[in-house]
Amino acid sequence: MEQTENPAREHILQRIRKALSAPAEHPSTPTDERLFAPVSEILERFEAECAGNHTECVLTTDSWATAQAVAEVLRSTPAGEVFMQDAPSLRRLAANLADRTIHWSSNGRPSEEVQATVTLAEALVAQTGSIFVSSACGGRAATVAAPVHVVVANRAQLVPDLQTLFAQVSHDDNMLKNSMLCLTTGSSRTGDIEKILVLGAHGPRRLVVVLQEE
Amino acid sequence: MARVALFIPCFVDQLSPQIGLDTAEVLRRAGYEVDFPKAQTCCGQPAFNTGYWNDARPLAARFVRVFRSYEAVVSPSGSCTTMVRNFYPELLAGTSSHGDAVDLGKRVFELSEFLIKVAHRTGLSAEFPHRVAYHDACHALRELGLKQEPRELLRHVQGLHLVEMPYSEDCCGFGGTFATKFHMISAAMGNSKAANAEKVSAEYITSTDPSCLMHIEGILRRRNSPVRTIHISAILATRVGTGVAPSRLSESEGAKRQESDREAIESQELTNAPGGQQ
Amino acid sequence: MTTPAQEFLRSAATKSADLRHRQILRHSIDTYNTSAAQGQARFLDWQAARRRAQAIKWEAVNHLDKYLLQFEVRVKERGGHVFWAENGEQAQKYIVDLAAARNVRTVVKSKSMVAEEIDLTPALEHKGIKVWETDLGEFIVQLRDEPPYHIVTPAIHLSRKEIAALFKEKLGGIDTDDPEKLVAAARVALRRAFFSAEMGISGVNFLVADAGMIALTTNEGNGRLGTSLPRIHVALTGIEKVIPRLEDLAVLWPVLSTAGTGQAVTCYNTLVGGPRTKDEPDGPEEFHVVLLDNGRSELLADAEQRDVLHCIRCGACLNACPVYRSVGGHTYGTTYQGPIGSVLTPHLRGLHEFQHLSYASSLCGGCTEVCPVKIDLHHHLLHNRRNAVKAHQRSWKERIGFRLYRWTMLHPSWLALAGRLGRHAIRVTHALGLGGSALDPLRAWTKDRNPPPIPARSFRSLWKERRGAD
Repeated sequence: MEQTENPAREHILQRIRKALSAPAEHPSTPTDERLFAPVSEILERFEAECAGNHTECVLTTDSWATAQAVAEVLRSTPAGEVFMQDAPSLRRLAANLADRTIHWSSNGRPSEEVQATVTLAEALVAQTGSIFVSSACGGRAATVAAPVHVVVANRAQLVPDLQTLFAQVSHDDNMLKNSMLCLTTGSSRTGDIEKILVLGAHGPRRLVVVLQEE
Repeated sequence: MARVALFIPCFVDQLSPQIGLDTAEVLRRAGYEVDFPKAQTCCGQPAFNTGYWNDARPLAARFVRVFRSYEAVVSPSGSCTTMVRNFYPELLAGTSSHGDAVDLGKRVFELSEFLIKVAHRTGLSAEFPHRVAYHDACHALRELGLKQEPRELLRHVQGLHLVEMPYSEDCCGFGGTFATKFHMISAAMGNSKAANAEKVSAEYITSTDPSCLMHIEGILRRRNSPVRTIHISAILATRVGTGVAPSRLSESEGAKRQESDREAIESQELTNAPGGQQ
Repeated sequence: MTTPAQEFLRSAATKSADLRHRQILRHSIDTYNTSAAQGQARFLDWQAARRRAQAIKWEAVNHLDKYLLQFEVRVKERGGHVFWAENGEQAQKYIVDLAAARNVRTVVKSKSMVAEEIDLTPALEHKGIKVWETDLGEFIVQLRDEPPYHIVTPAIHLSRKEIAALFKEKLGGIDTDDPEKLVAAARVALRRAFFSAEMGISGVNFLVADAGMIALTTNEGNGRLGTSLPRIHVALTGIEKVIPRLEDLAVLWPVLSTAGTGQAVTCYNTLVGGPRTKDEPDGPEEFHVVLLDNGRSELLADAEQRDVLHCIRCGACLNACPVYRSVGGHTYGTTYQGPIGSVLTPHLRGLHEFQHLSYASSLCGGCTEVCPVKIDLHHHLLHNRRNAVKAHQRSWKERIGFRLYRWTMLHPSWLALAGRLGRHAIRVTHALGLGGSALDPLRAWTKDRNPPPIPARSFRSLWKERRGAD
């Protein structure tokens, strides 16, 4: 629906410009105050935050151990579709999952009955125990549609804090080309019933990060 | 001896004169000569808070003139002190009184603020052996930044057991014309405050603000509560050995008490350093 | 027909007297306060964080045209559409027409105050389109056919038993008040909607100008699913939501979460820019951002109150407000409730009709103390009051009353006389047993409180005498 003309646009912009001709007092506050303590032990901090937000964090030493860890998680999920991001490393990993039907992201989005998704991540953030994903990680639905989401990552992807994450992302043209980016922190949840925390709302109930050494 | 001017809120003048008398007594005991500039009337807050700034402005300008020559102006009310210090500059912006208003703001104090920050007095030989909860009046707390000062004074009152009630920083619900315009909400807030004091078995609720206390007292009496209110000046004006503020005595007793106080203070002056640090 | 002011008083009277309602709200807000304190402790200095958030929003709002234009350029580069709407009708029409043109039969909607503001859902339903509220709290109040009670926690006023009964009646197949099972029931009910809806409508927490992306802050994942699965995504927002840079989110995401729920960050902080790219396996084919003015540019012109547009809709001021705690969200009768609503609504919907909201406050300042972007909320209530008086929108009785007050207070002798007469009148009417009647000068006071004891003499009179005794 192309709007060739949207006169409202000009009206609004004119009103804004006229409004701003009257200056408002600037708060004149220091802009260099440090807001958070620096994160020194990055891995330890990431693990501690994950424990707090119900992200399961599994450390592995090599790709074989990673594959085992993923298989372990999937064994505990009900029989049904496993949706995976179509990436070379995950293709190799899938060789260990002969007993599950894998739906690859190159064939479209997960189905309504998907039981688990396995994706990579763009980065991990220690400050908040978060994973940072994009639509390149198997699409948009891949990282939210299933009750279980497994993230395969490596330690080099850990950044200390949000400030560092954004400093990197802002200068990464390829990252910014994605139509979706998401900072995911813990399993989906709600406090809408009497402010009681319930885990597992519409997004995954279980978020597992398999974090490989190298 | 240093002099201070009493800034007596209009409703204290007309409805709770003993608060004014107690305040004068407390300041005298702290070593100050107390003046009451009788030209004062009202700081203008009722009009200001209801949006009638054109009616409040001449009162503010007048107020600034009345108190211009005093080094210190002390008031038994956090909200009235707030009006002068925090709002006069905005109200009088662009008028010839603006500069004087900003200056007056530096010289006007709520009573407990004055005692702690200027007079540096915590002990005033007061005695009030009761369980007392302190209500953090909104203006005193958020506009003047007073939290510990009144509590510090209360802790030095002999026999006084200071208890903290839950949600002591919650607004009591007075809020000026809000109390009558939105009386049902005002009453709900007041009843919450009363219930919180009852929860900690306080005998008294005290505060820096007589308007809060008048509202809370009205609520307490309506619900037949065992709790009563008392302004902080009345507690501080009690005397060790009597537990009664001079203003509550009969006229002749009060006059006699004043005479002996004056003698006591004068003799103190001869022996102590100025300022009388306790 | 009652005015909004009359309706407010009526509802306030009912709710203020409802102790159970106060207990429920108090409990929820206590839970929030504990979490918020924990969240604030994660910062080196929460006050520094507030200052930084304020500075970011100040820059954005005071250069609003520049950043909105930058945002528009970037979104269009990504293949998205930007529609500017002067008022609710224009915004509503755009979205409804779009849905009709695309044969949309089902819409999944995540939380949007702006959608409430423009009555979007009824307009879509009128066209035969089924709208699913997917935020659990919104889903619950939608089933009850009532508006949200709180801008962050829409069902804060309901107990689990009430929600259980509601689900049993409306969803069927569930008979428990276990919160986990209730959430699971909602998940099942909404999952089908997510996978079958043709259009997803979302709100916006921030418009990121330099990246050309919208930022969405949620916990449940409904915003993620609703902006991933349907083939059309419409993001509805006020024009003031813009921020200059992506990097500003390193401050604003934690600040919003801390003030909103006490979390370090919420579960899903999503950035969406445009429809799916050709390399992506899924995602909407169309992306529309609807920028709504609806009175915001007028508020922008008010330099004194421009900072009201800094609001990030965290809800902290509602939780801090003793009036909100007493009367709850529905009493306000407006989209925006609590202190921000009381300041904002007169601007968006008219001072004359809604000034009562700015008067329904004791000016305690609790709101200003907690606002994470340091809006001078309680002082703006005063400014609205002053503006109402200036515009001659108050009753003649009140105007005359304050004129008399001013004359009296300009003359100490008049004050002394008026005081004496007033005290006398009160004592006489009460002595005659007319206390509480129409003749009682203190009637407005004594409805809910006992009157203060009336002294025989004023302070100035007593002081004069004692000084005279010297």
